Amino acid sequence: MGYVPVKGGTQAIDASIKRLKYERLKGQEVIEINTIMSTMRAMVDQVMSESSLYSPYLAALAIKQAEGSMEEAVFLMRAHRSTLPRPYYSQTVEPEKMFVERRISASFKDIPGGQLLGATYDYTHRLLDFNLIEENPVENMQWLQSYKEALNQVASLDKVIYFPKVVDYLREEGLFETHEADNTPPIDITKQSLQFPSTRSERLQVLTRGQTGAVTSLGYASLRGYGQVHPNVGEVRVGAVPIYVQHPNETEQNEEDEFYIGEITVTEVESFVPNNVKNENNEYELELEIGYGICYGQNETKAIAMSILDQCLEHQESDFPTHDEEFVLLHIDSVESTGFISHLKLPHYVTFQSKLDSIRQVKKGGQKVEN
Amino acid sequence: MKRRQRTEILIQGDSQLAQQFAESIMETYECREILAPQYGLTMIKMRETAKNSLFYIGEVLITEAKVEINNRIGIGIVVGMKDELAKHLAIIDAAYKADLPETTTWEVQLIKAEKQITKELAKKQAELFETKVSFETMEV
Repeated sequence: MGYVPVKGGTQAIDASIKRLKYERLKGQEVIEINTIMSTMRAMVDQVMSESSLYSPYLAALAIKQAEGSMEEAVFLMRAHRSTLPRPYYSQTVEPEKMFVERRISASFKDIPGGQLLGATYDYTHRLLDFNLIEENPVENMQWLQSYKEALNQVASLDKVIYFPKVVDYLREEGLFETHEADNTPPIDITKQSLQFPSTRSERLQVLTRGQTGAVTSLGYASLRGYGQVHPNVGEVRVGAVPIYVQHPNETEQNEEDEFYIGEITVTEVESFVPNNVKNENNEYELELEIGYGICYGQNETKAIAMSILDQCLEHQESDFPTHDEEFVLLHIDSVESTGFISHLKLPHYVTFQSKLDSIRQVKKGGQKVEN
Repeated sequence: MKRRQRTEILIQGDSQLAQQFAESIMETYECREILAPQYGLTMIKMRETAKNSLFYIGEVLITEAKVEINNRIGIGIVVGMKDELAKHLAIIDAAYKADLPETTTWEVQLIKAEKQITKELAKKQAELFETKVSFETMEV
């Protein structure tokens, strides 16, 4: 297949871009960036996660510009990040330092520290709330005021509690393998193209920035039988983790001289997956392994699905497509997949003409033979 | 006070404290702007808890500024688009690097602000604990 450059259409393109602006403005309504940030939390989180750029403000701007198209918003964010310098790499973020706002386990009823529902849609009725059509700012303010007044009655704690991982208790019991800290420098897929076989750090980076729908679908496919992983969710936690960076020039570096630069909100999942492994006597025995999922913002479905795919890709000996790293990792990126699919609608006149010519030749040849 | 602790307080607390410190330095010393507040990225390295290995989760938008006082360069870095705060943090960092006498007087205010931050965070956590599940085992 060959590609041939063509000219023309400049005026039509200009007119089309004006038309696009017209479509966004014709309703004569202006949505503020702050309105999107305040009311479209899940959408903002999803754009940040899929674009791999944490900035609620820029994500909200991208959503506004893209008229709510996720693929377009993610594309805008990825394009913008490529224009920015990257002066720093963070120190290692330890998830145990998370200020937890939500933490649940589907495997244990009683987890040390308890199950904290936080803000969740899990137990809501999925019925349209027609009251929102006539939402009243004054009434909202009154609701907020009374909610805050009720919370004022809550007795404060003496200190902030940081929760240990559920799996830590199971590791202490010897039910899960304990791994020594592996400080191998990770590979950055934005600096080095993905090569196969991939490293664990590459796989996790691709999975965490994967398109939510794609990651969820492949995780679901694995559960339904196109894979060999069916986990129990050991722990889902949502909260803010602090970010620190080292001074770029100081020769003496210690932890106390690092810069704290702020925090990011993430969803983190540990799934417990039973697996048959051979022991020293060459006999199969059941062992529990952990699938790991994490993503920017609150997006629990994606993080759980990622934990399934992480575990799938740790067992590539299986013949299922969800255990094939090339199949999974090369097809879940939003910009790559939507970009390639949508390029099909761009002019392919020459390539298609050449295909038509071939078919005409074949048909002519066929007719001659019939005659 | 070391940089890690003071940047935690100045970023997590009220940004007016950083402004107040920076303005007190600007009144007395020449603060030369080396790098005007500019936006950039920080790549975040994380430890995953399944195999205990490292990976990059993605980038975060930051604002960075650099200021020179008495031949010592201070850096201000903060997540988000916060030009003023980045500049103030850079001035404060330069003040500490230049060992300016004002920095010793800031200690009390910083400790007070730190206590307030902890108090507010503990209150927020107590409020979140209202969503804690209290299971009751049912008779079958």
